[in-house]
Amino acid sequence: MDKELLQERRGFLKQFGATLGAAGLGAAGVGTAHAAAKPKGNIPDRPVKVGHTTFLTGPAELLGGPGQRGHVLAQEEINAQGGLLGKRKIETIFADEAAGTDGNVKELRRMKLSENIELFTGVISSGNTPALGPVAEELRVLTLFNDGCTDFLFDKAVPNPKYTFRVTNIQSADGVTAAIGAATHWPKVRRIASLQPDYSYGRNVFEHFVLALGKLLPGIEVVSESWPKLGTTDFTSHITKILSTKPDLLIAGVWGGDYVAFYKQALRYGLFDKMKVATTLAFGGYPHAIGKDHPEGVLAGVHANYHFLYPSGDRWPVNKSFVERYHKRWKEYPSFESDGAYTALYLYKQAVEKANQLVGGWPDDEAIIAMLEGTGIDAPAGYLYLRADNHQGYKDAVTGLSKNLPGYDFPVWDSASIVSIPIRSITAPPNWPKPGQGHNESTAAADWIKKTWPAAGKA
Amino acid sequence: MEIVALQVLNSLFYAAVLFLIAAGLSLIFGVMGIVNMAHGSFYALGAYVTAWSVGAAAATLPPAALFIFLLLGAIAVALVGLMIEPTLIRPFYRRQEEYQLLVTFGLLLVLEDVIRLLWGGTPLTASGLVDSLGLVRIGGLPYPVYNLLMIGVGAVAALALWAFVYRTKFGVLLRATAQDRRMAAALGIDVGRIYALAFGLGCFMAGLGGAIVVPSQAAVLGMGVEVLVIAFVVVVIGGLGSLEGALVGALIVSALRTITIQFWEEFELAALYLIAAIVLLIRPTGLFGRRA
Amino acid sequence: MKLAVPILIVLALVPVVASTYQTQLLTYGLTLAIAALGFNLLLGYTGLLSFGHSAYFGAGAYAVALMMRYLGVSSMELFLLGGIVCSAALAALFGVVCVRHTRIFFAILTLALSQVLWTLAYKFFWITGGTDGLRVPFSKLTLLGGLIGFPGADAFARFISFYYYYVLVVFCVCTALMWLIVHSPFGKTLQAIRDNETRARFLGVRIWRYRWLAFLVSGIFTGLAGTLWVPLNGLTTPDVLYWPQSGKIVFFAVLGGFRNFSGPIVGAVLFNYLEVYAIALTEYWQITLGAILIILVTFLPAGIVGTAQRLSAKFK
Repeated sequence: MDKELLQERRGFLKQFGATLGAAGLGAAGVGTAHAAAKPKGNIPDRPVKVGHTTFLTGPAELLGGPGQRGHVLAQEEINAQGGLLGKRKIETIFADEAAGTDGNVKELRRMKLSENIELFTGVISSGNTPALGPVAEELRVLTLFNDGCTDFLFDKAVPNPKYTFRVTNIQSADGVTAAIGAATHWPKVRRIASLQPDYSYGRNVFEHFVLALGKLLPGIEVVSESWPKLGTTDFTSHITKILSTKPDLLIAGVWGGDYVAFYKQALRYGLFDKMKVATTLAFGGYPHAIGKDHPEGVLAGVHANYHFLYPSGDRWPVNKSFVERYHKRWKEYPSFESDGAYTALYLYKQAVEKANQLVGGWPDDEAIIAMLEGTGIDAPAGYLYLRADNHQGYKDAVTGLSKNLPGYDFPVWDSASIVSIPIRSITAPPNWPKPGQGHNESTAAADWIKKTWPAAGKA
Repeated sequence: MEIVALQVLNSLFYAAVLFLIAAGLSLIFGVMGIVNMAHGSFYALGAYVTAWSVGAAAATLPPAALFIFLLLGAIAVALVGLMIEPTLIRPFYRRQEEYQLLVTFGLLLVLEDVIRLLWGGTPLTASGLVDSLGLVRIGGLPYPVYNLLMIGVGAVAALALWAFVYRTKFGVLLRATAQDRRMAAALGIDVGRIYALAFGLGCFMAGLGGAIVVPSQAAVLGMGVEVLVIAFVVVVIGGLGSLEGALVGALIVSALRTITIQFWEEFELAALYLIAAIVLLIRPTGLFGRRA
Repeated sequence: MKLAVPILIVLALVPVVASTYQTQLLTYGLTLAIAALGFNLLLGYTGLLSFGHSAYFGAGAYAVALMMRYLGVSSMELFLLGGIVCSAALAALFGVVCVRHTRIFFAILTLALSQVLWTLAYKFFWITGGTDGLRVPFSKLTLLGGLIGFPGADAFARFISFYYYYVLVVFCVCTALMWLIVHSPFGKTLQAIRDNETRARFLGVRIWRYRWLAFLVSGIFTGLAGTLWVPLNGLTTPDVLYWPQSGKIVFFAVLGGFRNFSGPIVGAVLFNYLEVYAIALTEYWQITLGAILIILVTFLPAGIVGTAQRLSAKFK
């Protein structure tokens, strides 16, 4: 990479406090990894039942499968140490999210009312958290969603959460992160084409990407929009249409099997030679779902959350050791869902331990919630904290350019290209008015960006 | 200009696949009077078997030899069909339509899970086949030779099916059975065998559709259900039970899809259902359908 | 019929003896049973297989969500009224189109029309919320003209204990109504048309009109079920309009047996348990449901109720 250009990009990123390359991760953890203190008081030895709903079937198994494995890994590790507070083993009830919203709602009620779960985790789809969040509040079941990241959940569906938390980054960060990544690597792009799955996630990505990029680069123009239905595998007509509008940049939010089918066809149609491509979820599923034929230099999104090569090696031992253990257990590499589900269970463990130190015995939900609010943890993805006002998890958002490295059967990130953005730079601050009350934008983040980000400078 | 040419080719490729699926669906309905809800799952099965076998053999066989797996994938699906017909479907010929619909609906649910059991959630691909044939340039834009070839396969399949149904002795027996099962049986035709073969042939077509699609796309969970709905639209427009209808329906649906994608992207989905509903309103039996 | 009173007594006692969880599960079952009742007027008594009843179920559900969102309505009675009006209007319209046809064409036409409706709910996201759906929290709901509301803590258990009886009453009214309908001259005529269309036509029956009326009534019952279902789910999404929802309604009727009056009711309640426990017990719930469906239609074509009746007749 050109040295001067690199300097310039670093300057550009400074306004967000973001970093380029594997040198990121400035402020490392605040040392939450303390030696576990001896549990206080009497701890019962009956198991803790946990409910975990995730996609075990259907196209989204690509996301749900790694999530389930991350959960099981954490569960096995905790149980191997004798369980929570050394006494209570974790027993998980799994349910298939592909059963539909109606089925998921019924199953959560069954888990709580009939099986007496003490913690509910999982959930991938943004269509399901807004349905399950209110149910969890009604049932008063402590809930750590590991995805289902729509802004809608805490903006509107559960505006004042008590029992529900969410571990992964908020959805609007996805489009904004892709925009910052694209503006960092390709500051000259102006003509934008969009290919988004035709549902709320795709619209969220499109809206926030275009909004943020418009603030970063002057004079951008959307020259084509495509909205294939979720589950589409024939993209040739979409690709030809995109080619016909001669864009500089394509922003693609298609994911999973759809993305695999898309990149295979785009490759043969020469799309990657004619424009830059930014994605939000290309590396979101099983890492090995993407083949070595995937082109290099694509901004390969991971839902703005986590890729297993970053934070790299010795810089963040938590991740190195997590990837090793995960690989040993499952013979594959983790995805951002693995990190989310794994971290969710450890967040619970940490809160239970802290609460136990304060009150003794097995803490009640109120005490655990108090310990979760505003807490932080050294997760594989880096330092994560749960904001007290909206119960949303925040960690640095990351994205990077795809590259084939020896040693992996699938493309990974070019370590020099990784853009890491402190999440507070791209999400609305605490107490920013929620949509429908303070403003008419679709999300608090969109409203905040529109009102507070400076307009793009002259090129 | 080259964009138009490319879109026409895209549309034809999509039509070729749709035709293979819809023709099988229509054939089974035309001969046996059964609307096969599991038909999309046979298409998915063809895609999975092909991708899996190509993947397994890619290391040992030269790329050209791998093309045989397209055929083998389709044949494998036909064999599955030949096993399912006598065991699951046969008891339902004398029963009401709702039962036939339901037994194939049950079969759909079962097959979806069987595919997941066998191959898991990771998408399977076989793009080596596409790459082995290289690209042609159409007005400066690359286009995969594989897709051209498969448009040809679709055309050949349409011709072969037509010749088979209208120019062979078996075709005569098939049509006779379709028109009047009892009369055919009275004339000494082995109706059971005809039904089994018709079902197998329908499954073969669906499997072939899946087999030729998978090198250019990917085999993913849920692909069968996805395509079933569109195949329904095709046969509804063309007319249930009509092979010509399946062909024309596939061409109409794929052209409509390409046009909406290019010009009115937001209506891609709505346009398909609307046109199906409109055709049904005006001609409930479809463009080529016979009155039942 | 002689079983009706003891069954009613048992149903009335459920919230007293059963847990909140079991009560709410049965509430779902009763709701779905109303949909099955409506559906079976077409399938069992008129001989028309609709594969598009998700349209009316969804219309009932969306009527509630839209009224709450845009008109600020919170009264369940107004929702019931709105649900009836919407599903009736829709069924009247779709009915005109569909009842000109029978058999497989009828099934496919109903399917296609329901899919058009699904596309609308999916595409007009600025009104319907798209795949995010529209929320219908029970905490905003009032029953009996605003007398009963469910704010505050532990509201769910309270909501279920009231709502169960509410649904039970509507269910009883619907069942009684349907009983009257199928045993009325109108119902008898429908069955005559089903059994022999030609003869009915010779007798001067205006077949088209009878079928349309049956379609209308069927749609209204199913719409009512959708209306009652929404507060239980708390949200309506385009899923309720999608064809698998129609498939489920058909499943209810076949499970219980559509050749007798109580079959679909039993089928709906049973299916609800079946689905919940299949999802709870195995990640292979699809294969479980599929296999059950295949076994049922192969070996018990009369459904559970039909088979039970046959067996009990044998042993008498």
